[in-house]
Amino acid sequence: MTAVTGESALQGNGVLGQPLDIREDPQLLRGEATYVADIDLPDTAHMAILGSPVAHARIVSIETKAAQELPGVLKVATAADFTDVMPLPCIWIPGGVESHFPPHPYGLPGARPVLTGDRVRHVGDPIAVVVAETPRQAAAALAAIAVEYEPLPVVTRADEALAEGAPQLHEAVPGNLNAYWTCGDKDRTDAAIAEAEVTVELDLVNQRTINSPIEPRGAVGDFDATTGEYTLYASTQGPHNHRFLLAALVLGIPFNKLRVIAPTVGGSFGTKGYLYPDMALVLLLSKALGRPVKWVDTRTGLMNSTVQGRDHRQHVTLAGTRDGRITAVRATSHANLGAYPSTIGPGVATALMGRSISGMYDIDAAFCEVYAAFTNTVPLGAQRGSGRAEAAFLMERLVDRYAFEIGMDPAAVRRKNLVPKEKFPYDNGLGWTYDSGDYQLNFDKAIELSGYADMPARKAQARARGKRLGVGIASYVAICGVGPSTRMSKEGMLGGTWESANIRVHPTGEVTVTVGSASTGQSHATVFAQVAADELGIDPAQVQVLEGDTQKAPYGQGTYGSRSYSMAAPAVALTARKLKAKLVKAGAVFLGVPEDKVVYAGGGVHEEGNEENAKTFAELAMAMWYGWGLPPEIEPALDETTHFDPPDFNYPFGTHVAVVEIDELTGETEVVAYTAVDDAGNIGNPKIVHGQIEGSIVHGLGQALMEAAEYDEDGLLISSDLSHYALPRAADVPFFALDKTTTPSPHNPLGAKGAGEIATVPPAAAVVNAVVDALSDLGVRHIDMPLTPEKVWRRLRGEAQ
Amino acid sequence: MDLSLNVNGRPEQFSAPPNELLVERLRDGLGLTGTKVGCDTGQCGTCVVRLDGRSVKSCLVLTAAAAGARVTTIEGVTTRGGELTGLQEALREEHGTQCGFCTPGMVMALGELVDNTADREAPTEPEIREWLTGNLCRCTGYHSVVRGVQRACSAARAGEPAAEAAAAPGQEV
Ligand code: FES
Ligand code: FES
Repeated sequence: MTAVTGESALQGNGVLGQPLDIREDPQLLRGEATYVADIDLPDTAHMAILGSPVAHARIVSIETKAAQELPGVLKVATAADFTDVMPLPCIWIPGGVESHFPPHPYGLPGARPVLTGDRVRHVGDPIAVVVAETPRQAAAALAAIAVEYEPLPVVTRADEALAEGAPQLHEAVPGNLNAYWTCGDKDRTDAAIAEAEVTVELDLVNQRTINSPIEPRGAVGDFDATTGEYTLYASTQGPHNHRFLLAALVLGIPFNKLRVIAPTVGGSFGTKGYLYPDMALVLLLSKALGRPVKWVDTRTGLMNSTVQGRDHRQHVTLAGTRDGRITAVRATSHANLGAYPSTIGPGVATALMGRSISGMYDIDAAFCEVYAAFTNTVPLGAQRGSGRAEAAFLMERLVDRYAFEIGMDPAAVRRKNLVPKEKFPYDNGLGWTYDSGDYQLNFDKAIELSGYADMPARKAQARARGKRLGVGIASYVAICGVGPSTRMSKEGMLGGTWESANIRVHPTGEVTVTVGSASTGQSHATVFAQVAADELGIDPAQVQVLEGDTQKAPYGQGTYGSRSYSMAAPAVALTARKLKAKLVKAGAVFLGVPEDKVVYAGGGVHEEGNEENAKTFAELAMAMWYGWGLPPEIEPALDETTHFDPPDFNYPFGTHVAVVEIDELTGETEVVAYTAVDDAGNIGNPKIVHGQIEGSIVHGLGQALMEAAEYDEDGLLISSDLSHYALPRAADVPFFALDKTTTPSPHNPLGAKGAGEIATVPPAAAVVNAVVDALSDLGVRHIDMPLTPEKVWRRLRGEAQ
Repeated sequence: MDLSLNVNGRPEQFSAPPNELLVERLRDGLGLTGTKVGCDTGQCGTCVVRLDGRSVKSCLVLTAAAAGARVTTIEGVTTRGGELTGLQEALREEHGTQCGFCTPGMVMALGELVDNTADREAPTEPEIREWLTGNLCRCTGYHSVVRGVQRACSAARAGEPAAEAAAAPGQEV
C-alpha cells in the first residue's frame, strides 16, 4: 500500500484546479468518437438475444430449427450449448450475508447462467441467441424460435416476496430472502426511541428507476484462433474488472488470453460496471464461428436487462427532543434485488444504503436492517448515487416530518444536529467514519444562497398567481472513493479495489499517463493530464492520457462510486512524485552537486542558488533515456507505476434547496429554483465537476418527478421504452444556483473527494420535502415519488395516498 | 428499390429494402457512424440529421421517403479533425458534452436553431429548452448545452459563422 503524505498537490504549477477546456470535447462534438456500435471489424457476424416475454415460467421446450433455416442465420444457441461455461458470479456479498447459491467453482455464488435453460425469472431473462450475417436477420430469426412456457406465479415486490406463500424464485433460497443485513446498535436505538419525547414515523417507497444511459450497451467479441486470445470490446466502466470476472470466473481461460477494450462509452451511471451474459456470449460465439460477433442492445432490451436501481420499501422512525435534538433513527427496509444477484447488487442494497442513513447528523443511536429479497424483476444494481440517495431520502424526509411535528423550522432542526467540525474523523455508528467536513459552513452557504429567508414572501406571491410554492432542504454525506481494499473486503467485496497509474516520460519530454480507470464521460484525459502536469511542473499539452484497454493500461477497477478522481488521480500524483524524486537523484549526477542542493522546479532541475546550472525537463528526459553516466543505483529511463490503496473512504457532502411551484388546477410540479452547495474536497477541473453536478441534480429530479420502472401484476415491465419511461428533458429544469465549499480529504494526496454522482443524492428528498411543504396545510405529510401531476392533483383534492 | 440521396454534398446511389430506415442507411450503408441510435421509439434524438435543412429524427424516416433529398449528418458539418463550427465551439467552451453520445444529434438539431438566429431575435432560454425537448441527455442536465446555444446565438447575431458554416468543401449548405 502506498503511504499517504497528506501533502497537497496544489503546490504544483497551478494547472490543477483550473477549468481547462476539455480535450475530449472536439472529437465528441464532431461525432468522431468510436462507441461500441460503431466498431466494424472485418467479417463481423451479428448477435441477437431472445429474452423471456414472461416474468416467471418453467421452460418446457425450445424449438430452434425453424430459426436455424432462415436466411443469413449462422447459429442459434441455447443453454445446452454452454454447459461448460461457469455462471456469472456475484462479487459483493456484504458481511453477514450468506450466499444461498450453489457455489461457483471459485467459491463465489453463481448468480446466473449465461443463458437460462429450465426456468425464466424475469421478463428479458435471456433464453437463446442467434448469430446472423446482419443485425436484421438476427433479430428476425428470434421470432422463429418457439419456446413453450409453463407459467409460474409472479411476485414483483420485495415485501410480498417475503410473505408467507409467496411464489418461490430459487430452490436454494427459501422464502426468497437473500439477505437479512443490519448495521448500528439495535438495543440502544430501540431504547432511545422508546424513551423519546417525540417520535415520527414514515412509510416510504423509494421506487425502482432505470438508469438509462443514452448509449445502450453493446459488445463485440473477437477470438483469434492462431494465438488463442480473446478480445472483448464492450461499453464497460471497468475493463480490467470485466477481464478478471470473465477470464477467471466465467470462461475459465488464462487471464492473459483475454483483452478487454472500452471504446468511448456513452454514459453509464453505474449500470455498465456489471457483468452481463452478452459479454461472455459474444466471445464464446466468436470462437465457435471463427468470426467477430457483435451485439448492440436496443433501448427496450436495455430496459429489460440492464440493472435497475433504488427499489426499497421502508418503515423509518426518528426520535428527538421537543426542542429539536435528534436522538435516534431506525430504518427497516425491504430491498428488491430482482431475479438474480447482480455483480454487486446485494452490496448496493445493503451496506451502501444502510450505513449512510444518519447523513450529516450527529445522532447518538442509529440502526438499519435490510431484508433483501428476490422477485420476478430485472436484477438490481447501482445507479448514480446508489444507496446513498436512498439513505438521504429517508433521513431527509424524516427530518422534515420531525420539524413539522415539533413546529420548528426544518433548517433550524438540521443546523442544530449537524456533526460539528471538531468531531472529525467522525464515527457515524453505522460503520462509516467520515474523514473531514465543515457541515455548518456548507449548510449556511446553501441556505443563504437559496434566499431561504424570503420564502414566506414568495409563497404569498405564488398564491396570488394560483400556485402553491414549497421549499425543501436536503443535506447528505456520500461515501465515495471505493476503496480501501481491506475495508471493502470486510464489507464483503471479493477483489482488490485499489487503482493504479503509470507514467512514462518519452525521450523527447512528452509524457504518457496510463490509468486503470476508464471514463464513461468524465473527461479523464483532461483531468489526469492536469494532475501529472501539475506535479511535474510541465505543460498539460505535453501529457497524453491512455486508458480503457487492458493490454495497455495498468490494473484498476474502473469508474464507479465517484472514485476516479479520488483513486486514480492520486495514483497519478504519487507516480509523478516518484519521477521527481528520481530526477532529483539523477539531477545531482548531471549537475555535479549533492542531492540536497538539487531543486526541482518548472519541470527541470537546477542547483540551489545557481539557476545557470540547470537541466530542463526535455534535457532530463533525453539524458535519462540514454542512461549515460548514471551510477548503478539509478536505473535509466523514466517509467514509474503506483498502486494506490487509500486507508479509508472519503466522504463528500452538501446541502441542496429546492423551490417548487404546484399548479392548483393541474397538479403539475415545477422546480422553479434549485440551489446546491457541494463539497468534493479539492477539485481537479471545475468545468468537469460543475457539469457533473448539474447532470446529477437533473437525474435526481427525474426520480422525484417522473421516473419509475413500473411492473404490472404479471411482472411485465410496462415502462420498457422511452415513450413509457419519462426522463427529464431540457424544458423540465431551470438553471441552478451552484456553489461549493472545500474540505480536503486526508485520505489521498490530492485532498480529493468523490464528485461525479454526489449531487444525485439529495434532489429527490429536496423536491419531495418542497412538495410536502407546499401541501402541508391540506394535511399532506408524505407523498410517494414520482410526483406526477395526477398524484399531486389527487392530493390537492384531499384524496389519500 | 434503387434510390438516391445527396449526403453531405455527395450524391449516393444504392438499392435499399423498402422498410429500411434512414439511420440504417447512414450508419450501416454509408458508414456515417456519427449519427447515433439511442432508442427504438423516436424519443431520444441521438439520430437527428438535417433533411433539406430541417432537423429530423432519422430513425423515424424511411430511406425511401427521403429519396432525392439533401441529407446533412454530423460528418457533413465539419471536416474530420477540422475547425469547429460556431455552435460546436460554443458547446466546447461551455463543456456541453460529457459522454458525447447525445452530442451529434444535439449539434444537428440545435444547428437549425442557431442558423436561423442571425437575422432574428436571439431565442430566449425557454425557447432553447423547448427546441431541445426532442433530444435527451443523461450526463449534462442540459445546462451547459443551453448556455452553449446562448453563446452561439449571440455570436451568430454578431455575424460570426454559426452552425454549418465550416462545412466540407463542395458541400451545398
Ligand atoms: S434513435 Fe432516433 S430518436 Fe432515438
Ligand atoms: S453527454 Fe452523455 S448523454 Fe448527453
